[in-house]
Amino acid sequence: MANTATMKSTKRVGLSKGVGTVLIALIVLVAAGFLLAPSSVSTGAILGMLPFAAVLAIIGLGQMLVVQQGGIDLSVPGAMSLAVVIISHYPTGDDSLLLPALGIAVIWAVGAGVLNAFLIGYIGLNPIIATLGTNALLFGAILGISGGTPRATAPLLRAIAGDRTFGIPNTIYFALLALLIVTVIVKKTVAGRRFEASGASKPTAMIIGLNVKAHNGLSYIWAQLLYLMGGVLLAGVTSQPTAYMGNTYLLPSVAVVVLGGTSLLGGRGFPLATILAALFLRQLDQFVLALGVPYAVRTLVQAAAFVIGVAIYTIDWREVRRRFQEMSRSSSGKEHS
Amino acid sequence: MITRQSRILQALAAAGIAGLALTACSAGGGGETAATDETATTEESTDAAAGDVPSWCGPEEITFGLLDGFGGNSWRLVTTASGEEEAKKCPSVTEYLYADGQGDTQKAISDIQSMVATGVDAIVVFPDAGEAMLPALRSSYEAGVVTVPYRVNPGGQDGVDYDVWIGADFFQSGRDWAQWTLDNFPDGAKILFLSGPAGNSQGEDEATGFKELLTDSKYEFIGEQPFEVTNWDPALTQQVLTAAIAKYPEIDIIFSDFGPSLVGALPEFTKSGRPIPALATSDGNLLGCFWQEQQDAGNGFEMMSVATGNDNVRLAVQTAIALATGGEVPEKGEGFVHPKFEDSVSGSPSAVQCRDDLPGDIYLSAQLDGDTQASLLK
Repeated sequence: MANTATMKSTKRVGLSKGVGTVLIALIVLVAAGFLLAPSSVSTGAILGMLPFAAVLAIIGLGQMLVVQQGGIDLSVPGAMSLAVVIISHYPTGDDSLLLPALGIAVIWAVGAGVLNAFLIGYIGLNPIIATLGTNALLFGAILGISGGTPRATAPLLRAIAGDRTFGIPNTIYFALLALLIVTVIVKKTVAGRRFEASGASKPTAMIIGLNVKAHNGLSYIWAQLLYLMGGVLLAGVTSQPTAYMGNTYLLPSVAVVVLGGTSLLGGRGFPLATILAALFLRQLDQFVLALGVPYAVRTLVQAAAFVIGVAIYTIDWREVRRRFQEMSRSSSGKEHS
Repeated sequence: MITRQSRILQALAAAGIAGLALTACSAGGGGETAATDETATTEESTDAAAGDVPSWCGPEEITFGLLDGFGGNSWRLVTTASGEEEAKKCPSVTEYLYADGQGDTQKAISDIQSMVATGVDAIVVFPDAGEAMLPALRSSYEAGVVTVPYRVNPGGQDGVDYDVWIGADFFQSGRDWAQWTLDNFPDGAKILFLSGPAGNSQGEDEATGFKELLTDSKYEFIGEQPFEVTNWDPALTQQVLTAAIAKYPEIDIIFSDFGPSLVGALPEFTKSGRPIPALATSDGNLLGCFWQEQQDAGNGFEMMSVATGNDNVRLAVQTAIALATGGEVPEKGEGFVHPKFEDSVSGSPSAVQCRDDLPGDIYLSAQLDGDTQASLLK
């Protein structure tokens, strides 16, 4: 899978493509908001949207690390839901139990990550199969711990995740922290550079002596920790979570990675663009809601955004144009003969 | 019969099914009754030791099953416990079974089929999937099992497709909200109504109910009609409400059929520098305590609630057991009516209640008392 990544070198022209594309999309969306649905760009709407964008951004960063290694992580729903369940179930409203609950959640997250890492990095299973299996196990844990019933979030967590500091929702600071950590580690440390290199081309990385298996496996563990962070924040933001809060995050988590310009074949990751893509998707929700169109249309618009986003990066538009030109040339040639 | 270990295995199998359902290749029809719970028969004799056997409990001994389409929230947990408590009042029920469809229609159907296959005598079903559950209900009924769907309308007819459907009178909830609105907002109001998934019959019935009374044009319904879709998901509720706050400069009353799911979202009003509007909704300890907190913080608002209706299941259980054991069948009427519960203005039938020593997700309107509910959540 990864050796095809070398063929995609033309696409990896730099950080600017992902960030640029998403930024343009975001600007267009905001402009459309001002024109068509002014309430979608009001302060209240933006501030209400940001916590959800922040959670999606953090989840997206986790998925990005896995995708960078040419993998994909379908255990997002289980991992997030489990984090929500643990952080709300153990304390059952008691603030003093939040920290121990967080400890338990970290153990579970690392455990799930290690399982994924072992199955995919070490044994070499297909990531779709392996992470789907892990997801099922995590749902087993959710049912085992809670009987499928989480509790209302403890007041302290509600305050930490739901309040604002200097007028900005606290979740944004967490997302920025996650962005900073991921960017610095991946882009500025030796280990991070090796991580990215082994994702870009496994054969090359092996030849130069990198531990490809370890890098591949580790990505799943880091990802789980980010899902945990996202899940805990989501529990705080929503006050009365359900046991399956993560279910609606699987598709968006992949979408923001793709919209951010990270190739599904692995290689270079674009953390900033991923965060911006999360912002874009959530603002799109807000925009469509503000338009006041029926629920069915809302769903269609979101689906269309995914398709267009994926098409921008994955279709080789130059090749498409060339073929069209060839087709029109040959058909016009036939007419003359 | 079913050991604890095998129950864990079944829970894992159920989880696997849930996982597969995520990838849209739903494999719930595996035929196994995962997560089937069973309780020791010895407990029942102690529960019914008081000796006063209810009139709906006849002499014939039966195995009784309670089936949920989706058991994954605290409301369902309390409801299930209420159903179990009700069933155990009758000593003729020698075995009690429970299955959770986990929101997967195929699993809910196979749960019914396998319970019928194991020789259960009466079942009470929460048919979340609506008409999709009708064939399974009918085949159970035709197999001679007393079949009582409740709350959600599965379509079909009493005595043809199942014994009897014990619905809930959601029209009345709507009318109660409307009456409160008429009493407290005589000069008119802008009303936003939030309900669950698109097209759910509960929300539609409630809307029909309140529109019967709020006919005057001074009562304006804002937002998507008949209701804003929230899927009863607190995260989506928050997004929808944020958008509504930004869009409508004036919202006087929010109608909602899942009050506690608003708690994460209502502070958005305060954050935008607007007062929290009045609420006409269903109860929950979390909501009651939120109301109290806001009152203390000077952001007070008025609210009324109807009971969330955990006790709907009791009527269904009584009916099913009466039919199967030969007891006296209770009157069905128009279905279960959600009694009015809290009213912050009149204080009747009750002022807003908050037990801040108990978890947020209990329902003080239920017959099952708060402390028992809290112990369920441990």
